[in-house]
Amino acid sequence: MSLFSRFMDGWRKYRKPGYYDEFDYHWTMTIDLDKCTGCEACVTACQAENNIPVVGEDEMAKGREMQWIRIERYWEGEYPNAKLSFIPMMCQHCDAAPCETVCPVGATYHNQDGLNAQIYNRCIGTRACAVYCPYEVRYFNYYDHEWDSPLEQQLNPDVTVRGKGVMEKCTFCIQRIRQAKDVAKDDDRRRVQDGEMQPACVQTCPTKALVFGDRKDHESQVYKSMNDPRNYRVLDELNTDSSVFYLKKVDA
Amino acid sequence: MNISIVPALKVLRPAAMLVIVILVGLVLGYWANATFVPGNSPEQPIAFSHKIHAGDNEVPCLYCHTQARRSPSAGVPAVSKCVGCHLEVATEKPQIRLLMSYWENREPIPWIKVHDLPDFVHFTHKRHVLANIECQTCHGPVETMDRITVSSRAVNGSAQVGHPWKMGLCLSCHRENEVVNGIDCLTCHK
Amino acid sequence: MPNIDRREFLKLVGAGGVSVGAGFMLREANKDPREYLIPHVLAPEDFSSGLDTFYNSVCSMCPAGCGISVRTREGRAKKIEGNPAHPVSQGRLCTLGQAGLQALYNPDRLTAPMRRTGEGESASFEEITWEQGLKQVGDRLDLLRAARRGNRVAFLTQGVRGHLAQLFESFMRQLGSPRLLHYDFDHPHTLYAANQQFFGESRLPYYDLANTRLLLSFGADYLNNWISPVHHSLGFGESRQGRADVRGRFVQIEPRMSISGAAADEWIPAKPGTEGILALGLAHHIVAEGNYNGADLGAWTNALADYTPDAVAEQTGVPVNTITRLADSFVDTTPSLAIGGGAAGNHSNGVDTLVAVNALNYLVGNIGQEGGLVLNPEPAGPAVQQHRASYSAMVELAEAARQGEIDILIISGTNPVFTLPPAAEFAEALAQIPLVVSLSSFLDETTALADVILPSHTYLESWGDDFPEPGVGFSVGAVSQPVVSPLYNTRGTGDIILDLARRMGSSSVMPWQNMEEFLKYGWRRIYQRGDSQTLAQGFDAFWTSVLKAGAWGETTNGSTAFTLNPDVIAGIGVAPPEFSGSEEDYPFILHPYLSPNFHDGRGANLPWMQELPDPMTSVVYGSWVEVNPVTAEEMGLSEGDLVDIQSPHGQLRVPVFVYPAIMPNVIAIPIGQGHGEYGRYAKGRGVNPIEILSPLLEPITGNLASSATRVNLTPTGGRVKLVKTGGVSRDLGRDIVQHTSLGVEVSSAADNSIPITEVTT
Repeated sequence: MSLFSRFMDGWRKYRKPGYYDEFDYHWTMTIDLDKCTGCEACVTACQAENNIPVVGEDEMAKGREMQWIRIERYWEGEYPNAKLSFIPMMCQHCDAAPCETVCPVGATYHNQDGLNAQIYNRCIGTRACAVYCPYEVRYFNYYDHEWDSPLEQQLNPDVTVRGKGVMEKCTFCIQRIRQAKDVAKDDDRRRVQDGEMQPACVQTCPTKALVFGDRKDHESQVYKSMNDPRNYRVLDELNTDSSVFYLKKVDA
Repeated sequence: MNISIVPALKVLRPAAMLVIVILVGLVLGYWANATFVPGNSPEQPIAFSHKIHAGDNEVPCLYCHTQARRSPSAGVPAVSKCVGCHLEVATEKPQIRLLMSYWENREPIPWIKVHDLPDFVHFTHKRHVLANIECQTCHGPVETMDRITVSSRAVNGSAQVGHPWKMGLCLSCHRENEVVNGIDCLTCHK
Repeated sequence: MPNIDRREFLKLVGAGGVSVGAGFMLREANKDPREYLIPHVLAPEDFSSGLDTFYNSVCSMCPAGCGISVRTREGRAKKIEGNPAHPVSQGRLCTLGQAGLQALYNPDRLTAPMRRTGEGESASFEEITWEQGLKQVGDRLDLLRAARRGNRVAFLTQGVRGHLAQLFESFMRQLGSPRLLHYDFDHPHTLYAANQQFFGESRLPYYDLANTRLLLSFGADYLNNWISPVHHSLGFGESRQGRADVRGRFVQIEPRMSISGAAADEWIPAKPGTEGILALGLAHHIVAEGNYNGADLGAWTNALADYTPDAVAEQTGVPVNTITRLADSFVDTTPSLAIGGGAAGNHSNGVDTLVAVNALNYLVGNIGQEGGLVLNPEPAGPAVQQHRASYSAMVELAEAARQGEIDILIISGTNPVFTLPPAAEFAEALAQIPLVVSLSSFLDETTALADVILPSHTYLESWGDDFPEPGVGFSVGAVSQPVVSPLYNTRGTGDIILDLARRMGSSSVMPWQNMEEFLKYGWRRIYQRGDSQTLAQGFDAFWTSVLKAGAWGETTNGSTAFTLNPDVIAGIGVAPPEFSGSEEDYPFILHPYLSPNFHDGRGANLPWMQELPDPMTSVVYGSWVEVNPVTAEEMGLSEGDLVDIQSPHGQLRVPVFVYPAIMPNVIAIPIGQGHGEYGRYAKGRGVNPIEILSPLLEPITGNLASSATRVNLTPTGGRVKLVKTGGVSRDLGRDIVQHTSLGVEVSSAADNSIPITEVTT
């Protein structure tokens, strides 16, 4: 390919989501805020699945928590009409992600499945991505975290333990996606079917508030859910084109 | 008054040369080790020869490494697998006697790992075996080795030692064979 | 080229040579450390390196009995999931259940049997062998039994069900001792008693949340800690958004907003202990409006005569129009369901309160209805309800110990030194018992006082089974199988008991070698209930299929027919709650609640749970006291101010958290922290509100009225930084959580922005 045609190709893709003509899969999550009870089962499930370290009280006090998915809480009104709303917040896997454009070493990029990828080996720890992220869902390893023996026996062998100086965040459980693709290949299928794989948070959610799947499959549960009239995206005005859709909480 | 750094340099010159020589020496030594010393060829607890098994007697790789076709990890055979044959075969050789002493004590053999991928790499034997990739493509001519050895640098087509595993090896193969999404980072980085 | 003399040249050559060698060695040192590939001697069947093996089992982190499916890789447990085949959890799991792995791999587990040496301050534990430990205990048991003094043995366990409970029972029967106590801090004694009174059976009904259209919860934090939170959450989600055209409405009545209160559509603060009065107020309005037409209408009218909305509003602090509105919608929105429990049941009028809630269901016809309250059939496994120990039973045990009536106390899994108020003087009573044996897996506060520790496996290493209570409307059972081989020199609780039974010569009655054998023996009876096809395949096939599925069920429903005993109606009435301490000296009512993270304190040794922000406040690693914003302002308190909280029975010092949804005269402290032992993560963190509870009882059950302690609150002037993750807890116009009205189709976000409230500083 000549330099010119490569340039033209890049220009053509420039305004397309993640700079791809077409995604292979388009992994998407919907979160029904009318079902979310804030129980945080998703948070612990994520910590167990993704080898997220326990940073300790001192680090927590400095705001250096490590929870790829967290529950945010917003109070409205005053007693006795006080109301509390929860919202689970994790990497929104934006198709026009601010974090991707800022990384000087290309450690975070968009892959062909609509995932916002973070490659730990490339990351040099500038933390610029965390500054650019409007959702504040990127977490930085200030230390080489350790597990008190024998807690390390629980670590998931399919997920790297991140070292000092590396940024990390939700991957939509890439290891499970990989596994599901592997199973699909075994069955001589080209594509992963709806419901075949779920990230740890979706799998454990006791109210089934979280739904995950491939948006390109129009029969999928997630496609139906994201087209619910209640759908919205957090901070949509920033045009991040995020892959996490929330369903509005119903006041009744 | 004329201020010059030349006199200072003159005084420092021998020291500067020393520093340069030491630095060049360090790099040279490091490079020499990395290039000419075989990367990994430890002496195993039992002098198991792949040459005798896979080479001379043509035992298929998957006969012992049965996991390779259905699991990410190829696995090493259980001691019982070795004993299965060696109850009958070559029972008098000293290394086989050693094997039988492990078996009789119901002890596992502490094999030393030679081919070691970094922990951040997702590699599955299953996919590669099912795609009919020869084991030798990555492991080198194992059937000629008395002791499993990895080179510490890429030797294209080397008949002596196995390949070292660098990212380039994976990528060039994935590119050549046009693997679907084969050069996406997340395919291998976990 | 500079001039170099010979001396200089040789120096440089020497230095060059040494540095080449150093570079060589540097590379050598940089090579990967040696790793080993340890093969099996004999390859086991269910083990493939690099592949996952899933084992189905039962979660034991709380009494709900969810089915779990544990992912193991190369013999290590990696992840706990809900078991999709289990009707209680249906593939889902709560946060504490997920963290069970950290109980298994906890660095502070007891690794071998131990014996106390030395007295008082210098006491410590020395490691012994199992034979030594079992012999010491077994010999003394045998002596007592031979002397027909087996009743001097007491057995105290956490609430267990299934065949382990039956094993404990036969063990104690062999000794001839009635002192078998199942003690849990949060066991809903008052709910069982209320159901006994109202339904004539001491069982929990099934609450069909999934199909209900209106749920009134009187104090029950059903989404968090009450009875079966995961199953209730499933029902909640289904009721809210799982059905076409119908959205369940949830109303929560409680003095301090719990997780369920936050999830509810309406949160109504009622004065602590008046929840039952409010329920009767609703009942009064239903009957008075002519919405009840049963044959016993007259009796109801009489019984409810005093509970006019005006009188009830006066007592509960809930406005009259709210009472009538709730009552009307409870009738109109069928199927509806009222549940009660939690703090509402932990008052001096607890049983009456929960009877009143049942009455509400009765008047609207919710009993036996889909979307209402379904009576459960008899559980298929052994029932244990009669051994559930209330607070007063524990006090009796302590008293007996002080009287020298108890020679041996065996404690399994429960931690009464932590979960009983100091007024019970349980720790002092333990000191009077010559031989205290603990079967705990951890060195908790109670185990620290034991004489002999025979550490048991965690639930992920041992055999057991469970018959969830309440069931799900039909009979359910599940077998808990070991998912990993034991990490340490510990044994299963059942195996220890069977061994002790052999040592005291009971092997003829209890002939089983281990728990697995006993389980199979017990499950043979359940197998025999099966259809002809199951029977034809034989027991072994049945057993394997139960282990594989992780659950067994039988679709026989409980009886739907229910007739109310007329005597019950006349007895209906809720007295005003009693509190310890006078209102003048102690102006606040203490509302202790089970922490979502730690349950009754058992989760405090799990690092994930310590670091999990409390859902309502986002505080981690500590305790706090929740104070109403107006009260806080009046007293000049803000977040992090240390206050002394004094009850008639003790004092605590704890930082303030200004909590927007708590009544002005109520303060709340979560239970779970404040451990004096229990490992590195739990020890010395936060406070335990149980320490200042007054020993006020509910008279029918002897249950501790744990929500009935009055306290006062004194600022100390001290201040700490509360460690929490949440930043500004108000939306500030960012429109992050968006709302919509029911039935309104929404297209753009801007039309639905919520009113922004000013931030209070």
